[in-house]
Amino acid sequence: MTTVHVQYYAILREQARASRETVTTRAQTAAALYAELTARHGFTLAESLMKVAINGEFAPWASVLNDGDEIVYIPPVAGG
Amino acid sequence: MAATFSFASKPVDPAAETGRVADPACGGFVSFEGWVRDENEGQRVLGLDYEAYVDLAVREGERIVAEALRRFGVRHVRCVHRIGALSLGELAVWVGVSAPHRAEAFAACRYVIDEVKHRVPIWKKEHYAGGDSGWVNCERCAQPTAAGGQHDHAHHQGHDHGHAQPHAPAAVLPPSDYSRQKQLREIGEAGQERLRRARVLVVGAGGLGVPVLGYLAGAGVGVLGIMDGDTLSPSNLHRQTLYALGDVGQPKALLATRRLRALNPDVDVRPFVERATAASLAPLVGDYDVVVDCSDNFATAFAVHDAARQAGVAAVFASIYQYEGQLQVVRGGGAGSCLRCVWETATPDGVVGNCAEAGVLGPVPGVLGSLQAMETLKLLLDLPGTLTDEVLLVDLLSLETRRLRAPRNRACSQGCVRLGQQPAESVELRFASLDEVAAAGYLLVDIRNDDEVAGRPPPVASVHVPMQRLLDHPEIIEGRGRTVLMCARGSRSRGTTEALRARGLQTVWSLEGGLEAYLAEAGAAIGADSDA
Ligand SMILES: [Zn+2]
Repeated sequence: MTTVHVQYYAILREQARASRETVTTRAQTAAALYAELTARHGFTLAESLMKVAINGEFAPWASVLNDGDEIVYIPPVAGG
Repeated sequence: MAATFSFASKPVDPAAETGRVADPACGGFVSFEGWVRDENEGQRVLGLDYEAYVDLAVREGERIVAEALRRFGVRHVRCVHRIGALSLGELAVWVGVSAPHRAEAFAACRYVIDEVKHRVPIWKKEHYAGGDSGWVNCERCAQPTAAGGQHDHAHHQGHDHGHAQPHAPAAVLPPSDYSRQKQLREIGEAGQERLRRARVLVVGAGGLGVPVLGYLAGAGVGVLGIMDGDTLSPSNLHRQTLYALGDVGQPKALLATRRLRALNPDVDVRPFVERATAASLAPLVGDYDVVVDCSDNFATAFAVHDAARQAGVAAVFASIYQYEGQLQVVRGGGAGSCLRCVWETATPDGVVGNCAEAGVLGPVPGVLGSLQAMETLKLLLDLPGTLTDEVLLVDLLSLETRRLRAPRNRACSQGCVRLGQQPAESVELRFASLDEVAAAGYLLVDIRNDDEVAGRPPPVASVHVPMQRLLDHPEIIEGRGRTVLMCARGSRSRGTTEALRARGLQTVWSLEGGLEAYLAEAGAAIGADSDA
């Protein structure tokens, strides 16, 4: 099990009803964790539309999670 | 679409002129008529003669009507000015504009008559009741007054072409004062001079654009372009603090222009009342040092991005959602990472809510727009700390900001490789879409021989100049900007490009692999798409 800190922005924050949470998971990658969180929170945005940053840097979805990682899921935003 | 300016030595027939701008695509037509008036500076006028240095005057007039067409996005602009002897009440100048909507038509018509009066060299000789006469140079009002206002000249000679244009004397304004920012050690006189020479294009005059425009105009940025095709709606006002309820329905680019000129007459404010697209941006972006994207949709942001990246111009992006925002600075000259390094393609509109769908609190674009103004000034003044290869996330509920590193993405073929990022030394370019290359402002030249072109016409609008003719007459493409030569398989175009480079034409490239390779790849791409 891996414990990571997850931060949500924009529509994800709305759907998760929280801007951050700490998650203990069996998911190995950023993508697998997103799938797990989607099942839990009902996220409507597909992974393909989103970006993920790990420990302050944009990272591939296949990145392997480590204990204590700061994960940020970032949806696209266009308002002006 | 047409923009015409001409002189007439015989009476002008307004009905006939109106017919020349009629267009079923237009729902609005606005005309202005200037008539000979019976009084000037207390003297009774009986009639007058107009004289113009026709060559020069026509050229300036054509420039004005072309500007009106482009700036206001109207479909037809026509101006006819009389020369010769005119009697009282006779039509001296006629301006007609037709457009899909009335607001642009009004604005463009007003623009044309004002600019014609100020810029076109026309003289008139007035015949007064006492038997005297006097020449009045209509161009004299092109001299700015001490107040420096561009369009508010005090007229010492009454010489209106028309009675509908009463010019109020300009108020005497104090000079713009930059002392508070020049006080900063990093700015001073030298920094202020840099700002005076700077040129910034702001795309979108809404929630983000308003603070950007206000601060950049206040700072004394020399040229501010404003591109926005929208009119003001009452629902904009809670976050777009430059405007008033009485402005509703008018084009935002023009409203902002008026406010900014009043805020700081030093700034040359240039409105473009049109939607930002690849086609409308390509010819403009290269004239600016920084482009600021304040649009409210993905498609526009990507069009701004590609045009700026292509022209090597720095761009500052921001977008907002409810209580949050994102900020990214893309450096000029193709350096660093770009918007497409982070987001490969524009998200389809409607997937993520915009301000109308998701709601927004006014200060959110206010804060993000202020950050864009700040980053723009940092770029122009070379101040430290610019957001570099990073994305800033701002949450205004928690007041947390996060600076995420966004290094160059080696898979970024769209923003970092495809469009013009090849160093000038590379002779060959490959493109995913020649139509986009043409829209981005490249001149495409088909150098195959006549038979080849007849047998297989080029897949994109291009100029046909057979190879030998081009080598004999390189002046055909000289001064035409970035040019791509195309042949069947890429070898003649490469050889010709090398020969032209050797003769000093540095902005010429060869289409790698020629049209055959391009069509094969385009065909493969179409096949792949239809499988998806
Ligand atoms: Zn890129």
